[in-house]
Amino acid sequence: MMSLLTAPPAAAVRARRARPGRLAVALAVLVVVLLPVAVTTERFLTLGNARAILASAALVGITAIGATLVMIAGSAVSMAASQTATVVAMVFLATLDRGLTVATLLALLTGVVVTAVQGLAVGYWEANPIVLTIAAGFAIGGGAIWFSGGTPVSAAAGGYEILNATPLGLPLAVYVLLVLAVLAEWILRRTTAGRQLYLVGENRAAARAAGLPVGRVTVVAWAFFGLCLAVTGVFLASFNTSATTNLAGTLTLDAIAAVLVGGTAIAGGKGSALRTLGGALLISVISDVLLLRGYETGVQILVKGLLVLAVVVLVHLRGRR
Amino acid sequence: MSGPLVVVDALARSFAGVPAVREVSFTVGAGEIHALCGHNGAGKSTVVRMLSGQLAPDAGRIVLDGEAADLRSRQVAQRLGVALVDQELSVVPALTVLENMTLGDIDAPLVTRRRAAVRRCRELLDEMGLDRLRPGQLVATLSMGERQLVEIAKALSQRARVVILDEPTATLSEAESRRVFAAVRRVAARGCAVIFVSHRLPEVLELCDTVTVLRDGRRVVTAPAADLTVDRLIVHMLGETPHRLETSRRPDPDLTHALRIEHLRVPGRLADFTLTARAGRIYALAGQLGSGASDVLRALAGLHARATGSVQLRDRAVAFRSPVGAARAGIAFVSNDRKGEGLFLDKPVAGNLVATRLDRLGRGPLVAAGRERRTARSLAELAGLPPDRLADPVLTLSGGNQQKVFVGRSLGRPDVHVLLLDEPTRGVDIGGRAAIHRLLRDAAEAGLVVVFASTELEELLELGDVILTMRDGRVVDTYPGGADGAVLMRDMTEGKDAA
Repeated sequence: MMSLLTAPPAAAVRARRARPGRLAVALAVLVVVLLPVAVTTERFLTLGNARAILASAALVGITAIGATLVMIAGSAVSMAASQTATVVAMVFLATLDRGLTVATLLALLTGVVVTAVQGLAVGYWEANPIVLTIAAGFAIGGGAIWFSGGTPVSAAAGGYEILNATPLGLPLAVYVLLVLAVLAEWILRRTTAGRQLYLVGENRAAARAAGLPVGRVTVVAWAFFGLCLAVTGVFLASFNTSATTNLAGTLTLDAIAAVLVGGTAIAGGKGSALRTLGGALLISVISDVLLLRGYETGVQILVKGLLVLAVVVLVHLRGRR
Repeated sequence: MSGPLVVVDALARSFAGVPAVREVSFTVGAGEIHALCGHNGAGKSTVVRMLSGQLAPDAGRIVLDGEAADLRSRQVAQRLGVALVDQELSVVPALTVLENMTLGDIDAPLVTRRRAAVRRCRELLDEMGLDRLRPGQLVATLSMGERQLVEIAKALSQRARVVILDEPTATLSEAESRRVFAAVRRVAARGCAVIFVSHRLPEVLELCDTVTVLRDGRRVVTAPAADLTVDRLIVHMLGETPHRLETSRRPDPDLTHALRIEHLRVPGRLADFTLTARAGRIYALAGQLGSGASDVLRALAGLHARATGSVQLRDRAVAFRSPVGAARAGIAFVSNDRKGEGLFLDKPVAGNLVATRLDRLGRGPLVAAGRERRTARSLAELAGLPPDRLADPVLTLSGGNQQKVFVGRSLGRPDVHVLLLDEPTRGVDIGGRAAIHRLLRDAAEAGLVVVFASTELEELLELGDVILTMRDGRVVDTYPGGADGAVLMRDMTEGKDAA
């Protein structure tokens, strides 16, 4: 008697669904505003610049693809991305003397294990992901300083140069980004675990009561995130040839920005890897235009912040019922 | 005494065109304890919500102390001296008794004068018989009964003239209930009008001066408690006894298909529960809030981590201490909280129908899209859902159709052997209710063990092949289907021991 849910007429529902979503409108407006600005910017419409845009989106994009799965699963965000990528980079560089394959595998394993353990705590013991990853970030960052003794870790041997190759003029990382985005999208749409991720993220209590493997699904998402972080770390290492403790810089927040601009719901249950890819590219394009027009770094960061804010207000805060 | 303190005059209220309260009138004098009785859906809660300012009436008026009162919000009601002590406690465990007393008090001075506040708190606690409590004590350290008493003291501290108690004793032990009664009598003795809502009829007759019975939103009778007995009250509440949905099938004689529950216990909620539930039969657990009926189902579904006992299904022990274990053994659970713990409201109907069987819709870890679509369509047909709504979010469906999705999700699965439902038709209209009853009967006929808990007598009588009445965490008695409604009601409200 109390909870009678009155259903809106079916026609109204269909009309609502036929209208383009707010994100689509926001993006259309953005393109209309951006296009003339971009086209009139000197050197924007050059092949070299397109490459630069893709290259600058690659590393943040790879991390963001992994973060998308974690956010869809309802675990909000990880605050330990930069630190994890840094540790992975150090492991990679320090073990290069055993060959590129061994070093890469060890690096990937480090990223997956360190991150999956956090997923374990979130999935099975219902740890608060934000608090947990802030703590994990300190622990991992501390580990990095301890491991490196506070000095830069340089490559124990060569062999990493192949990762800096640029087939068809694009960094290898760009191809890896595209492959990971398609792989993540496939996992989300076609696998049981991926589909359950959306359910767990939308209503964890309901997923639990239905007997869905909430813990296992969460760990899968975090393990994939760990893999993406590790890939980012390996590319960072080979690009910089040495690793300091703040190698990954603002990776944590940049990745979150890309996921949010892509329209993935911060509360979980909605989102897609391909949209995150779009978000990463959009941020990259805007930064590029500002750079070409000679704005300072501060302005670039400011605009990035405003963009994330606008998307969050438009898409995420429209009161979930 | 100059006229009644509270006059309820021809109050009416509908939800989505369905009347919940129709022209209900009664009066309560100062110092009077007035009971509102009626079983679920009779309109008690709606009346309480209108009296406490949570819901505006469609028609009729409420007169307080001779003046027509416009109770626009709970704050306004509070300012006019109407206090509500809810069945869900609103005391904050992390705060002290004193802090809770002053919480939300609109008359509280900006700067609290602590010593005066402590003195006043002390007086009120003494008045409630809580002389053992200290104002500085954390509410978290109190028992449920003591919290209930603090809640009543809080209502008094806010100078209430009318105190409404909605099921205050539903989760309390006998001894704790006694203390609440003593407090309620003291409140009345101060000249307040008390409105007392309870399912427990003997306590209603013992405590209250006057009783008003509601049925189907109408007032059936108002009479002095002294002129009533439990039996007469039940007759007023029930009206006609409904007829049940007959089964043509005999129970499955093969005990290996049965769900065998032995000495199931949940600390603090379920004392002891043993039942052999056979395939093809519907078992009804009849019990009010706090009776343990709901806890039997939740424990079997793996949602009470501290449950103990033994549960066997198909000759295998059920790992019922985790929801994953229960689901793997073939137990499907339909919670009474459809929104919070049931459906994925933003997801389409189709996605919800297959949500719990994704791992069975393809090869290995992949979901086969074609098979998923076909499964969703056939389930929609089975559950009687409009096929053109499969792509719409579940949120946009009516309560009845939402419930069909929730139940349909567990049907047609060879790996599900037991269907547990807690309040299977809560928030569902009459048409949807009949359809869901039909679904459950069909599920039993198809060879499932069906166990449901309900507080609604009609539902228990319509569906149950075996009815177990429950009270205070124990089974009171077991009846075959078609039992006498009055007997069930008596078991549920007063147990066996009372006359």
